[in-house]
Amino acid sequence: MTSRNTFAQGMTLTWRSLVPLRNQPGELIQLLLQPIFMIVIFVVVFGAMSGDQGGAVQRLLPGVLTQVALTQTITTGMRLAEDIGNGVFDRFRSMPIARSAPLMGRILADTATMTLTIAVALLVGAAVGFRIRTSPLEALGGVALLLTFTLSLGWVSAWLGLRARSAASMQGMATAVLLPLTFGSTALIPAANLPGVLRWWANLNPVSHLADSLRALLTGGPVGAHVWITLGWCTAIAACFVPLAVRTYARRIR
Amino acid sequence: MSNTIEAEGLVKRYGDKTALDGVDLEARAGSVLGVLGPNGAGKTTAVRILATLVSPDGGSARVGGHDVTKEPAKVRELIGLTGQYASVDEKLTGRQNLVMIGRLLGMDRTAARARAADLLGRFGLGDAADRAAQTYSGGMRRRLDLAVSLVGEPSIIFMDEPTTGLDPQVRAELWAVLREQIARGATVLLTTQYLEEADQLADEIVLIDRGKVSARGTPDELKARAGDRRLEIRPEHDAEKAGRILAEVTGLRPHHGENGVISVPVLDPALPPAALRRLDDAGIVLTEHALRRPTLDEAFLALVAAPADGSPERPAGRPVERPSA
Repeated sequence: MTSRNTFAQGMTLTWRSLVPLRNQPGELIQLLLQPIFMIVIFVVVFGAMSGDQGGAVQRLLPGVLTQVALTQTITTGMRLAEDIGNGVFDRFRSMPIARSAPLMGRILADTATMTLTIAVALLVGAAVGFRIRTSPLEALGGVALLLTFTLSLGWVSAWLGLRARSAASMQGMATAVLLPLTFGSTALIPAANLPGVLRWWANLNPVSHLADSLRALLTGGPVGAHVWITLGWCTAIAACFVPLAVRTYARRIR
Repeated sequence: MSNTIEAEGLVKRYGDKTALDGVDLEARAGSVLGVLGPNGAGKTTAVRILATLVSPDGGSARVGGHDVTKEPAKVRELIGLTGQYASVDEKLTGRQNLVMIGRLLGMDRTAARARAADLLGRFGLGDAADRAAQTYSGGMRRRLDLAVSLVGEPSIIFMDEPTTGLDPQVRAELWAVLREQIARGATVLLTTQYLEEADQLADEIVLIDRGKVSARGTPDELKARAGDRRLEIRPEHDAEKAGRILAEVTGLRPHHGENGVISVPVLDPALPPAALRRLDDAGIVLTEHALRRPTLDEAFLALVAAPADGSPERPAGRPVERPSA
């Protein structure tokens, strides 16, 4: 098996994961509905409640963007669990293809849809009044940081999906992991407004650092150490879960 | 290269459950081996071992001359896998499924598309080619699944219960498709729960029950051994005499079961009325009599209980005519 073949097979399987978005309008709508919904609920409704719509949009959108992106990382594990459950995975395993190609295709496809989701969320944000106040380089840096973080979480998701009994149980487990991360963070509420234990947790939570980095990189203000702490978390998560996921995968695909 | 399938003493355990307990299988090049057995007999486990999806806990297997555990990559070059547990991608159209497999097998885009179009036509999926597979009926999905497994023109094909759950008409359609593949000269291992399916398609049949081979032979041999119907009687008295009469009429040794039931395989439809007449003439009163077609389970039981020399329990006397297959 040459590495060129491996790459070609990985690309074919990336195509396979993305083509349903083109095939079926429902798939695409489902993908895009989540960011639109979340922005409308959190940014517009909460903004209107706070009385300061413009300020609320600027403050909340980076947090909602973080939440939307993180929630979407569940897809990686769910789709892997589905492929295992319905036999598609076994079909690939019975074929003379690189063992790594199915996992590679999955991760590449999910990175592409994540990029699409972030772009759509920023466009919807712009429509409700969100403005990027920083240089294009800083803004791109913010998006890149978000992508890096979701990519490292994607490996946690892959690990859960490869171990799960079914796609539904994977979704349950992943939600249990994600909820305290996304809601127990400073993504939507400043740490100062949180009560005792929750504040302690929110200050520790990597998602807080990610959301604060993104807010600073998109709307201005001091970035501080948040970016470095976030990158540190990305490295730590990847260092833990890439080997775990790859090992579980190797056992399943052998 | 010889397109043979050989397995000796395959053992597979899942926890404390033994799925396969020393199974031997052999398919000659270009032949169809039917692996017949009820749900949970171990058929799928055997296919999964031969298709390199799980490794056996004991025994060995060679597919196309390559050991499935030592050279799985070589085996994968030769095989196509289809059936209840290898599936199509439901979100892709039929055509996209086929193109994907062609591309994965190293065809360029043009070749993969041409192959897809060819297979869609041959499997009667032309009209549905550009619809997502999740909109397909059960029969269409199985046909697509089969087409997908044939993209690389494998010389050895594993079909794991290709028609389970389909209604009889759709099953017959699928059989026609399977026969085409068989005619192409591929070696086929087919698992099924249906006696009739194995009979229709297989050159040789291996019966598996609870992880063990309970019988093997050509369809005709097995049918002759199972008997396709059994006459069951329960005489009120004179059980021994009744048994003797049954033996005389059918030429077979009857089985004296529990509750005074005496049964005998019936290989000739004219025999039951004759037997009942003779019993009546002899003044034996029957509390019960029935002509029963054996279920698959009963066929198994009959075959497991059959003597090792493989011949039906047949006393000396006139030869028994086999039912025409």
